Amino acid sequence: METLITLLVGVLVAVGVYLLLSKEMLRIILGTAILSHAIHLLLLTMGGLKKGDVPLLTETAAEYTDALPQALILTAIVISFAVTAFLLVLSYRVYQESGRGPRLRGRQDE
Amino acid sequence: MITVLLAIFIPFIAACLVPFIHKILTGRRIGWFVITIPLFLFILLIRLVPSLSNGASYLYTFPWIPSADVYFSTHLDGLSMIFALLITGIGSLVVLYSIYYLSEREAIGRFYTYLLLFMGAMLGVVLSDNLIVLYVFWELTSISSFLLIAFWYHRKQSRYGAKKSMLITVTGGIFMLVGFLMLYTITGTFNLQELISMREVIAADSLFIPAMLLVLIGAFTKSAQFPFHIWLPDAMEAPTPVSAYLHSATMVKAGIYLVARFTPVFAGDTTWFYVVSCVGLLTMLWGSVNAVKQTDLKALLAFSTVSQLGMIMSLLGIGSLAFASSESTQIALFTAATFAALFHLINHSTFKGSLFMVVGILDHELGTRNIKRLGGLATIMPITFTIALIGSFSMAGLPPFNGFLSKELFFEAMLSLKEANLLSMDSLVLLFPIIAWVGSIFTFIYCMIIVFQTFFGKVHAPAPGQRPAHEAPIQMLISPMVLGSLVVLIFIFPNLLGTYILGPAMNAVYPQYEGMPGLVPEIHVWHGWEMPIFMTIGVIIIGILLYGLLRYWKWIYSVGFLQWTLDRLYNALLQRIERVASVVTKTYMTGSVRDYVAYIMLFFIALVGIGLLGFQQFIFDFSDDAVIEINESIIIFVMMCSSVAILFAKSRITAIILNGVLGYSIAILFVVFRAPDLALTQIIVETVTTVLFLLCFYYLPEWKNEYKSVSMRIRNGLIAVASGVAVTVIALLVQGHSMYPSISIYYETASRLAGGLNVVNTILGDFRAFDTMLEVLVLFIAGLGVYSLVKLRRKKGVDHPEEK
Amino acid sequence: MNMINLLLFPIIIPFFFAMILMFFKEQVVVQRVLTLIGLALSLVASFWLIATVKTEGIQTVTLGSWPAPFGITMVSDMFSALLVTTTIIITIFVVIYSFSSIGVERERFFYYPAILFMITGINGAFTTGDIFNMFVFFEVLLIASYLLIVLGGEKRQLRESIKYILVNVISSAIFVIAVAYLYSIIGTLNMADISVKIAEINQPGIISVIAILFLIVFGIKGAIFPLYFWLPNSYAAPPIPILALFGALLTKVGVYAITRTYTLFFVHDIGFTHQFLMVLALLTIIAGCIGALAYFDLKQIIIYNIIIAVGVILFGVAQMNTSGLEGAVYYLLHDMLIKGALFVLIGIIIYATGTSNLREMGGLIKTHATLGWTYLIAAFGLAGIPPLSGFIGKVLITKGAFEADHVIGSIIILASSLVVLLSVIRIFIYAFWGPQKNELPVRDQRTYRQMMFPAIMLVLITVAYGVGAEWLMPYMTDAANVLADPSIYINAVLKE
Repeated sequence: METLITLLVGVLVAVGVYLLLSKEMLRIILGTAILSHAIHLLLLTMGGLKKGDVPLLTETAAEYTDALPQALILTAIVISFAVTAFLLVLSYRVYQESGRGPRLRGRQDE
Repeated sequence: MITVLLAIFIPFIAACLVPFIHKILTGRRIGWFVITIPLFLFILLIRLVPSLSNGASYLYTFPWIPSADVYFSTHLDGLSMIFALLITGIGSLVVLYSIYYLSEREAIGRFYTYLLLFMGAMLGVVLSDNLIVLYVFWELTSISSFLLIAFWYHRKQSRYGAKKSMLITVTGGIFMLVGFLMLYTITGTFNLQELISMREVIAADSLFIPAMLLVLIGAFTKSAQFPFHIWLPDAMEAPTPVSAYLHSATMVKAGIYLVARFTPVFAGDTTWFYVVSCVGLLTMLWGSVNAVKQTDLKALLAFSTVSQLGMIMSLLGIGSLAFASSESTQIALFTAATFAALFHLINHSTFKGSLFMVVGILDHELGTRNIKRLGGLATIMPITFTIALIGSFSMAGLPPFNGFLSKELFFEAMLSLKEANLLSMDSLVLLFPIIAWVGSIFTFIYCMIIVFQTFFGKVHAPAPGQRPAHEAPIQMLISPMVLGSLVVLIFIFPNLLGTYILGPAMNAVYPQYEGMPGLVPEIHVWHGWEMPIFMTIGVIIIGILLYGLLRYWKWIYSVGFLQWTLDRLYNALLQRIERVASVVTKTYMTGSVRDYVAYIMLFFIALVGIGLLGFQQFIFDFSDDAVIEINESIIIFVMMCSSVAILFAKSRITAIILNGVLGYSIAILFVVFRAPDLALTQIIVETVTTVLFLLCFYYLPEWKNEYKSVSMRIRNGLIAVASGVAVTVIALLVQGHSMYPSISIYYETASRLAGGLNVVNTILGDFRAFDTMLEVLVLFIAGLGVYSLVKLRRKKGVDHPEEK
Repeated sequence: MNMINLLLFPIIIPFFFAMILMFFKEQVVVQRVLTLIGLALSLVASFWLIATVKTEGIQTVTLGSWPAPFGITMVSDMFSALLVTTTIIITIFVVIYSFSSIGVERERFFYYPAILFMITGINGAFTTGDIFNMFVFFEVLLIASYLLIVLGGEKRQLRESIKYILVNVISSAIFVIAVAYLYSIIGTLNMADISVKIAEINQPGIISVIAILFLIVFGIKGAIFPLYFWLPNSYAAPPIPILALFGALLTKVGVYAITRTYTLFFVHDIGFTHQFLMVLALLTIIAGCIGALAYFDLKQIIIYNIIIAVGVILFGVAQMNTSGLEGAVYYLLHDMLIKGALFVLIGIIIYATGTSNLREMGGLIKTHATLGWTYLIAAFGLAGIPPLSGFIGKVLITKGAFEADHVIGSIIILASSLVVLLSVIRIFIYAFWGPQKNELPVRDQRTYRQMMFPAIMLVLITVAYGVGAEWLMPYMTDAANVLADPSIYINAVLKE
């Protein structure tokens, strides 16, 4: 299972990076979103998958799955959401300011 | 003794006071305040001369940065004394001269501030016993020289000369610093006296030669030795008092000081001799040959200074052979060279100082320094002429002036080389006196040029706007007159100088021969009919001949390599560097974010690749994997498909929906992987994100098919796939390396203590509450950002407030 | 409040004041006063912290009072305490500079809160002893910097900020990936604990690969070769005070993180990791030197000097001996101060001339003599002309390099001083001495004087920092000792 998820992470990273390498702003932002999906999955996988029960403490379960990565992912999800939202609004403003799609080329001394 | 320390600091304090005192002593009267400083110090120092000649030396130390072995220690011995006296003595005369040289309209206060700054720094160089402190003052002299050369900064040439001199001397200083640090690595001390006592240890180290060469580069740049001499002619843009003071009498001699100072440390090896004497002789020849072709008197004097410095340098080189010799006659022969060097050092300061002042007077009174526009001044300016005559003839090595004495000693030292039992040196030994002799002939020629082309011949009409030529005011003549009389006095009483001033200095250069008879030779005006006097006569005869025929052979300056100057190299280099830097930088700084991302990912891939291949630890361990169930594999398959499909989505709405599919699938995976809290959060966040995407979608234009070339697509594709592979491979490796159980087990027991049953929530709310708080803060700031992005807008056409 | 929480004050106070400022969005003057009060309080706390660390050793606090590897531990050793203090000092003066230059519009749109939030993030990143918490602090300072870089909404600002944000998003992504890998192997997040466990397994190859990943992450933030491409253009986009803060502080967080991880975690395969770091540091210096000579734009020249300094500091770190580390710490603080000063100074030059193009300037010395001399001192300080502050750091670094037998590297370090000197002296010669090209725009003398105050203060501080080296040396030594010997840090955190 871990191996399979790791492969999935690999595919997601590849897709994310490919999108990051495009010119269109929307694609780039999608790229960041997909990249963060990949990272969250990776983080979860690194703690081991399905090694025990849901980490809700009951009397019955003998073993629980690693709770720490889950906590970290929660933090990471919120942060990446904040950044994505910010980026989206920013690209909207760039478009508005320049009157066309955000151009990411150009020297600073133009 | 604290006097020595005071000697360094008094000029600095005075420099700080000048701007304030200038408010009271307005105009040129500030000069009378300034002149008291060097005069006072000169008297202070000269009172110590008798005790120095009795073998005393003064050491004073106070800690500056003791933890880095940097002590502010000053050491006054015979060698330092020569320089300190020159600095303060010539300094007094130069200040006196400058009072009448500078016009009231100029920034006199600034001038004296710089000058005092230099004086303090220069005294610091020659009086410091700690290498780091010495270096500090060394660079300070470069900076004050920079400021003084650019005193008339509105002239382009001044700025050029200032920058050039600073770049070259600071470069040398930095090399020297590296040398010092090497010496420190060898010996563990920055203390000069300790270094000298450890010379065997230093000589045995593998860093010996590099350290020596680096220190020499420092000395050569400062003392304008070939090929670093190119800054000195351009430094002549400074006001003439500065040229007389810094660029002939004192600062350029700092390199000489350094070589003399380090002779006991390095001279045990003949490399020192070869480098110092060869560079010195070459400089002497090059400088004198180039001086002849100059038409600007100041440029002529600059090249002559280069040449004379080369001569002193070469003498020091020969003097270093005393360390390699064992016979006492030989030792005496070679120490005499150093003696000659120190003697000529003083002589040069006297005659060259007076000559510079003379040129300053000419410039001041006639408005030109161009030889072609000068002539016939001998009768109009008799005093100036006399001084110029004394100075030039002394420089040419004619009696009855002090230059004659040192020139004789110079020839003698060159000839003494044949006594040296150096291996495979025979041909070179012959060459040395010949080069010295040829150099002296050219020296003679340019001295004649100064005297005859300026003061004899046709009187030129004054330049427009200039008064007709007349003698300079007496106040300006005092200083050159004092120097001129010294030139004669030293010729008459050379041994007074020898006993009291040069003797202690010789002891400092040759600590192991201290008190040896013959270390301080008697200077005789007449040696008998020996080789040196024949050489001098030869110089005079051939010199007169060549001077007379000058216009017949001057054409050689316009051909061949003599045309090719190192100056051009410097200019080309500086320009080229800026241009190349500009081209290189603008090539990779494309300003395109896509390139940035590509650079970063390529670097990432390359490093991970190198790391993985380098360590060859491909341990994969799949045994601990959880089982895969069918429904899970379906989800994963869906995710893979939808992610890849995004790449090929024709419309952006499809892409956004596919991204949503991904997000929700991950939520399902979280459920499968026993993370219900995550799943919940993921669903909420994914929903909001999708809504946001759709909102922006409303404002942004439809996405176009990217017009990417195939090669670009392949490039991007390769980078993307490689990144994915890199992440996956490391992840798999890492799983095979799991070495420790997670700290999470603790949380399961501790959660009960914290009163929570949901471990994840307890971690977030208790164990790692700080993270959670900050994560909320991030969200909050992002909100502020969005708010100000939408609300705060620039008016059209207004950019940075600074650039309004 | 007991002593133990002292190290949290420089993090919490700016945060707290930023929150208060929210209530005074429109009252700009109140905001200014409160910001200064907040920073002044933080400064007092940070000085107190330095004194405490000096006398009592490393300060730690584990939040929620859970034992060390399980809760989030904040650790203040001398290195981090010094950095925290320097950060606050620079911020105070840049904030004062902002009063007269940033413009009321920006002030009304969370300029000061954003700065204070960024300081919270920076000081937190300097202080945290937990690798994931460091990530979170990074995000705090980054999102605050995003807000600052877009603030004002100029076209160029918006365009450049997208690049800036994207690069940082990638770096953050790699950060989490690296943490995930490390967690999988070591099973812990506490930095001291990580150090212990890596030592126990003697740093196998895979850990060294992770070390490289960390280098990439922090290298992007710290702008090392070849990851600095984003920096020059992005930094040039926002107004000067923001540029000054970014230039003086942000890259240094990356440098700090590299230093921390490469002295605490990855110290068992120096032949690979640190050799690698050293080569990159030298390449960074060379690339920075090339850039610094390439431009005639004031901002670009100083910005490329940031990159050179990063290389110099990391070269010192890579030596892994006391001299090298001492030099690196000393030089790091020096560079923060001097960059703050220089950016403020060129801000004033740009204000006075109305352009940032060197070719269009000239003759300023006649009208702005004080500015000229202040700039010249700062320039010499940057180039390491003794006895100003750049000198001692460089000497120590070079000494360390000699001890480690890296002669070529140390020559490159010192040779770079020359390029630095050339690049900054060029500004002086053109702008102050050169012939006046254009009529100077009319400027309010009062504003000019208000701008000069922080500039002169910062330069004075750097001069004192250089000349008073001896007085500071014990602190540098303390900082370097902890870096040179991880066990000091570990014992302080994991003490029972």
